[in-house]
Amino acid sequence: MSAQPISVPIVSETAVPAAAANAARFGGGLVPYLLVAPLAAVFLLFFLIPMLLVIVVSFFNYESYQILIPDFTFQNYLDVFGEAVTWQTYLTTFKYCLIVWVLTFAIGFTVAYYLAFYVRTLTWQMVLFLVCTVPFWTSNVIRMISWIPLLGRNGVVNETLMALGIVDQPQEWLLYSDFSVILGFVHLFTVFMVVPIFNSMVRIDKSLIEAARDGGASEWATIKHVILPLCRPGIAIGSIFVLTIVMGDFVTVTVLGGGLVASVGKSIATELNYLQFPPAAANAMVLLTIVILMMVGLSRIVDVRKEL
Amino acid sequence: MATTFWRLFDRSGGASRRDFLKSATTLAGGAAAASTLGAPYVHAQEPITLRYAGTGVNAFKELADKCKEDTGITIQYTTLTSDDVVKRAVTQPSSFDMLDSEYWMLKKIIPSGNLRGMDVKKVKEYDKIVPIFTKGQLPDGSQTTRVGIAPIKVSYLPEAESTEFVEEPTGFMTLIPTVYNADTLGIRPDLIGRPIESWAELVNPEFKGKASILNVPAIGIMDAGQVAQAVGIVKYGDMGNMTKQEIDKTIAFLIETKKAGQFRGLWKEFNESVNWMASGETVIQSMWSPAITKVRQQGIPCVYQPLKEGYRAWAAGLGIPTHVEGRTLDACYEFVNWFLSGWAGAFLNRQGYYTAVLDTAKENMTADEWGYWMEGKPCVEAIKSPTGEELAKPGEIRDGGSFYERMGNVTVWNTVMDEDRYMVRKWNEFVAA
Amino acid sequence: MLRENNPRTFFFLSLFFVLFVLFLYGPTITITILSFQGPTGGLVFPMRGTSLHWFGQVFQAQSIGDIHGSFFRSIQLGLIVTVLTMVLSFLAGLAFRYRFRGSGFLFYVVVASLIMPSVVVSLGIGSLFELLGIERFWWNAGLGAHLTWTLPFGLLIMFAVFNRFDKRLEEAARDLGASGVQTVRYVILPIVASSLIGVGLFGFTLSYDELARSSQAMGALNTLPLELQAMQTNATTPVIYALGTMTTALSLSVIGVCLGTVLLLQRRQARKGSDAGKGTV
Repeated sequence: MSAQPISVPIVSETAVPAAAANAARFGGGLVPYLLVAPLAAVFLLFFLIPMLLVIVVSFFNYESYQILIPDFTFQNYLDVFGEAVTWQTYLTTFKYCLIVWVLTFAIGFTVAYYLAFYVRTLTWQMVLFLVCTVPFWTSNVIRMISWIPLLGRNGVVNETLMALGIVDQPQEWLLYSDFSVILGFVHLFTVFMVVPIFNSMVRIDKSLIEAARDGGASEWATIKHVILPLCRPGIAIGSIFVLTIVMGDFVTVTVLGGGLVASVGKSIATELNYLQFPPAAANAMVLLTIVILMMVGLSRIVDVRKEL
Repeated sequence: MATTFWRLFDRSGGASRRDFLKSATTLAGGAAAASTLGAPYVHAQEPITLRYAGTGVNAFKELADKCKEDTGITIQYTTLTSDDVVKRAVTQPSSFDMLDSEYWMLKKIIPSGNLRGMDVKKVKEYDKIVPIFTKGQLPDGSQTTRVGIAPIKVSYLPEAESTEFVEEPTGFMTLIPTVYNADTLGIRPDLIGRPIESWAELVNPEFKGKASILNVPAIGIMDAGQVAQAVGIVKYGDMGNMTKQEIDKTIAFLIETKKAGQFRGLWKEFNESVNWMASGETVIQSMWSPAITKVRQQGIPCVYQPLKEGYRAWAAGLGIPTHVEGRTLDACYEFVNWFLSGWAGAFLNRQGYYTAVLDTAKENMTADEWGYWMEGKPCVEAIKSPTGEELAKPGEIRDGGSFYERMGNVTVWNTVMDEDRYMVRKWNEFVAA
Repeated sequence: MLRENNPRTFFFLSLFFVLFVLFLYGPTITITILSFQGPTGGLVFPMRGTSLHWFGQVFQAQSIGDIHGSFFRSIQLGLIVTVLTMVLSFLAGLAFRYRFRGSGFLFYVVVASLIMPSVVVSLGIGSLFELLGIERFWWNAGLGAHLTWTLPFGLLIMFAVFNRFDKRLEEAARDLGASGVQTVRYVILPIVASSLIGVGLFGFTLSYDELARSSQAMGALNTLPLELQAMQTNATTPVIYALGTMTTALSLSVIGVCLGTVLLLQRRQARKGSDAGKGTV
């Protein structure tokens, strides 16, 4: 997707120039505010204000048939923290997050590395990216149904495994298990890891890599000491994508968990579906706080904004 | 506190927001004018479109086409998942003109004040509506069960705009019923190979990893209740309105069963149940009648198994949101009248549902069809679905038999309990366990 | 540049990539097989004969669900979202290269929009429009809902693009007397153009497939995923698989044709001895 089709000679940046000094020089005045205004307006209108409603509602009370009773109660928050099921769902969700993050990172980094350093022309990079995108143009609703004939008791995978004599009876853990949920996440979100890492990789000055090579570093050592550190922002951004979406997901968990698995997002969705808005809102606020804290922690390690 | 959050903001003197905006563009007068003038944007000959929100259960193109032909009214379906129907009804009533909702949902929708009681005087066939909805009886006069939210409990409002129910007939109905049915377990007789007679079989270890229950708390808890009672784990005072202890016991029972690996999954939407049954992922599960039909159409044996403990029933109907006024409101009534006039009823009867006005539907079905669907008689000719697929071969009879055998053996209705808040939390625990 | 790359590594990485693509296409392959179901077949195995029946059905009006209308709404919405995502992300990406007041807050708002379960956002937007008395359509509330989903991706990818972006290029342009707009137009834009296309592609895919965030924001007319989801409340036929197969086949052939054209043009140019169009990668 990206390369540098430019003829201006790039001076190698062995040391990243002090970003702050640069920024100061570009000072800006009103310019950045004008540039960011349209995006900010969208989030103000369609995210911040609606979320304010949600926050207000999270302090409301509710009864069996009375959905919203204006109030200022912390009961919903106490309920969230006071129940074993909350901790259980958070635990499950963290577990998915961690496993999915490791897998998508490993796969995503390898794929991005291949595309950035082994696929040589912009055209082919574009084509391969498109090929990876095409499956997602068939609606997720349709794809989700197709996991049954793929992984189910009489599905393609089981039939193949049995025909090959690898197993002698259908493997049921393939579908509606932790395995299938994680598989689904990896299927959906690896691309979110590939794209930012790839974009980071093509920004790496090739002369740096050549220098490392000339100095006798193996490919592996080059990856470890040159590419990986320079890709940190890309990795951080990919990680933000994967971690945030897995934390809030409920569609994948619902469909590929066969309804037997609960994540935080799914609990919230269930509460909303039964019009228990106040606890759902409270639960959502707790989720938001926790994940934002995770992101703040992440930015301690890599601040994606500092290296712009 | 009787007002809800949405109501606090929503209304300006009875005029709906939508009308308000539309009229505000033509009249400088504003809100006050909108409420008195009704709908100033109406032009006499303009063809009318009704926005009809509901699940895909009744949203057939054939119905909309026929309605257009007969009445000139265009039906624009907004097809939603069952969860979204309730959310829309409570939070965004202005996004539709007619709501196709289930009766148990009314417990949540009516307090929001978003539905208007329907004036029965404007409903031509009102007197012919099955007394399940008007008296809590079958047409032969026998009482239907009141366990759960029997439609009669939520059919009437004391006045056109009210947030509370009355159990006696008044001039205002919450919904005009469209379809209802008696649900039971679906089974794959070819994979089970022996008779199934009780709800208890759902948790029989013989079907470990091949059973499923419905993941809609309001409905699933009732199926679970049927099972728990059949097994003898819980004896309910009122299954339709469980106490906290009863909920605890039922959920504990479900969790134990789940941990033993009994459930292949918990299904959520109609189509999922069809796919699971057809692919053999499950061999016994909660199911809906047309889903059985769908599996059979694929040439796979599937039976809607009558059980000795009786059926769980549900009902759905059409409601009108408060904001609808003037000509649109008239069109809503015209549509309802058309819906009850027979053609639509026959169409839905042929889907395996029951329709609200039996007399008019009967006029639109052949004697053979009526015998098969309603009277439990073997059919003489092959029975076809409204879209032409063969559903039964000559000589077959309907699972569960006649209308009276099925609706007469209903022991519970889908429900929203007093302990709903607690129940949904516990249900979440079951799903998370 | 990396010409001396180890051929064995190249082989294994290629194999890895092929397996990854195969994994991505797993559901697609199943969908393709099952779209040839016989007329009485369902959405799962066993196959009940083979036929082209369901492909014909795609062009017929369905008994339940409006595939055509929702498909075109989704495409239109997807294209609008694509353009807005590209433009807004690019502008905001530029802005974030400066220090400005509130940049930290805005950054976390954008991240929060990713975290917040989509059903909550959707309900919030739907309720807001209800309170304001504005009727929802796909092009107002629906568009907004989609942007809250695509823009975080767009903006963060722009971060990766501007990451270690050599500011000396711009300084050089300025020193040569270029205005701010000219610098963007002639220096920055050409460099990030291909990445921007990537952002657009991302935006389209996300919007075209968006379900949960749309659910309460679309008003009376559904987008394709919503319509397909709602169709699950009744029996669905392999017609949706046929739709999937056709989408995939069409997309792949468009990519194939474009690739062929580009390669042909490049070969011609190479013959003419021009070096234009050669990437530097």
